[in-house]
Amino acid sequence: MAGRKLALKTIDWVSFVEIIPRNQKTIANSLKSWNETLHTRLANLPEKPPAIDWAYYKTRVAKAGLVDDFEKKYNALKIPVPEDKYTALVDNEEREDVKNCAAFLSESQDRIQEYEKQLEKIKNIIPFDQMTIDDLNEVFPETKLDKKKYPYWPHQPIEDL
Amino acid sequence: MLSRVVLSAAAAAAAPSLKNAAALGPGVLQATRVFHTGQPRLAPVPPLPEYGGKVRLGLIPEEFFQFLYPKTGVTGPYVLGTGLSLYFLSKEIYVITPETFSTISVVGLMVYVIKKYGASIGEFLDKLNEEKIAQLEEVKQASIKQIQDAIDMEKAHQALVQKRHYLFDVQRNNIALALEVTYRDRLYRAYKEVKNRLDYHISVQNMLRRKEEEHMMDWVEKHVVWSISAQQEKETINKCIADLKLLAKKAQAQSVM
Repeated sequence: MAGRKLALKTIDWVSFVEIIPRNQKTIANSLKSWNETLHTRLANLPEKPPAIDWAYYKTRVAKAGLVDDFEKKYNALKIPVPEDKYTALVDNEEREDVKNCAAFLSESQDRIQEYEKQLEKIKNIIPFDQMTIDDLNEVFPETKLDKKKYPYWPHQPIEDL
Repeated sequence: MLSRVVLSAAAAAAAPSLKNAAALGPGVLQATRVFHTGQPRLAPVPPLPEYGGKVRLGLIPEEFFQFLYPKTGVTGPYVLGTGLSLYFLSKEIYVITPETFSTISVVGLMVYVIKKYGASIGEFLDKLNEEKIAQLEEVKQASIKQIQDAIDMEKAHQALVQKRHYLFDVQRNNIALALEVTYRDRLYRAYKEVKNRLDYHISVQNMLRRKEEEHMMDWVEKHVVWSISAQQEKETINKCIADLKLLAKKAQAQSVM
């Protein structure tokens, strides 16, 4: 019946709010409110119930043996610590999430690499006043005039000029 | 510039045809000349010079004067020009025809116009070019910014991923709190129930005890009253009245004093 020190991790609520996507905001709020409710309930309950004064009862209660009987049974009563079936589920979820996050991270890194390559390419083009039309078509392929589709000058529909 | 044209045409196998055309062209000498076999220069085209070559008299490039300067000094080219033109005129190698006058007027007019308005026309055209280049620059800057933003967003997402464990921490905390709350709740309930039972026993006893006492008192009173006979009652009442009179006299005496 001894109270145990609760191992609660400190939560940074700001970060918690940051990582929740928009469509799950209600669930996150309910989690938060549950947390607060439980905290208040915990604060209201004392850690150990007060001890029963057996000597007092022994002198007062006329029926002999009743108090002794109660005392023996009460001391023998062991309320089991409620078993924790749910932390395992949360841990499983967290493991999967860690895997997903690792996959996301690696993809993200690849994406960053690609972006950086593109950035380098764009930064290193020759200045525009030294370019020819061929160079321009290399850097911006959309400026290339389709000479097969429009064989006659200006090689593009007149509306696009 | 021509070399680049040849370069792009080279892939289309136009170069051999060019050489073949040269072979069919006039003269054997030209057949043996091969065009544009120098190393193709892939570097970007060097920037165009800002100003055209310097000319004197609007027609004759400065290089000619520089070329003659070491031998003939400053006046050399002018003397050469004067002498040559006088020679051509006097010997009628160059015949003065109506063409001459039209040539003089056209060339004079062209030189005049170019000298006067050349610069401003050049600026205007440069401005047009600048606008096009500025537009292209904008596009380039916009792409750079876009890619930069994408990179920053990816980095921010990576940072957020680090914080993802808070979600699970909250859940675990909640579970632990709920378990502890139920445990304490149950302890407290057990205590309360036992205490209730004991208190109940005690209060039952107390109540019984009180009831017995009251009953006994009632019984004793009843018997006492019952035992007082009528005679005794009259005697007690007389005594009470006498006592009362005495008390009244005492009280009166006291109040007088």
